[in-house]
Amino acid sequence: MKKIKLSIMTLAIALSIGGAFATSPRVTQDCQGATQYHYNGTGYVLAGRIGIDYLCATSPNVCTYYKVGSTYVPCMNGIYCTSNCKTITTTPKTKN
Amino acid sequence: MNKRQVVLESISALLIMLFLYASISKFLDFQRFIGEMNNQPLPNSWTPFLVWTVPSLEIAISVALIFERTRMAGFIASLALMTLFTVYAAAILLHFFEYVPCSCGGVIRKLTWPQHLVFNLFFVALSVMGIILQRRSSFKSIIITKNSFV
Repeated sequence: MKKIKLSIMTLAIALSIGGAFATSPRVTQDCQGATQYHYNGTGYVLAGRIGIDYLCATSPNVCTYYKVGSTYVPCMNGIYCTSNCKTITTTPKTKN
Repeated sequence: MNKRQVVLESISALLIMLFLYASISKFLDFQRFIGEMNNQPLPNSWTPFLVWTVPSLEIAISVALIFERTRMAGFIASLALMTLFTVYAAAILLHFFEYVPCSCGGVIRKLTWPQHLVFNLFFVALSVMGIILQRRSSFKSIIITKNSFV
């Protein structure tokens, strides 16, 4: 009885620790670890620090890019916004 | 090991996996986690507190769920934390905050906000099941102990 319990717990702990390391950005080469750029309509500029200099509000659009060689590749999805997030993402409520 | 105990161990294992995976992932890329936290529609002044409290709580819950003596407390804490996450996901979906952040900061980054909500609800249900089953098994063991003295 104790052996089964011990096996279940050991498996759960091993899977979660292994899973966390296996999916860590260092292993998966996740783009969010790289320097983020924003396309401002004319060119790519440094995005800054997420949550401080800019926000990525929900949207299927591309929020930030990262550089692979000389190419800018989409990284984070969303709408890039600095101080105008509210006006971009919320739609006015209408009365029926 | 009866059926109830197997279910109880499995529920504990699933919750341990969730909390341990989530906390270790956060600590493994702490700078990114700070950024994700700042991207949330919560005051940035909360970030230094939240980035340490949330993963530490998750580890504490995982440890509590491992041992029989602290398991009930673990289930209750798990229910509280998962309910908090669920309410937050629901509030975001209901446009309660100024803006809807990208869902890139969750346990599983590919999930959308509605998927996050369902995911969280599943673990809320698991925690509730854990509390009920743990209470029943504790009650049963008390009765067995009492009867053995009669």
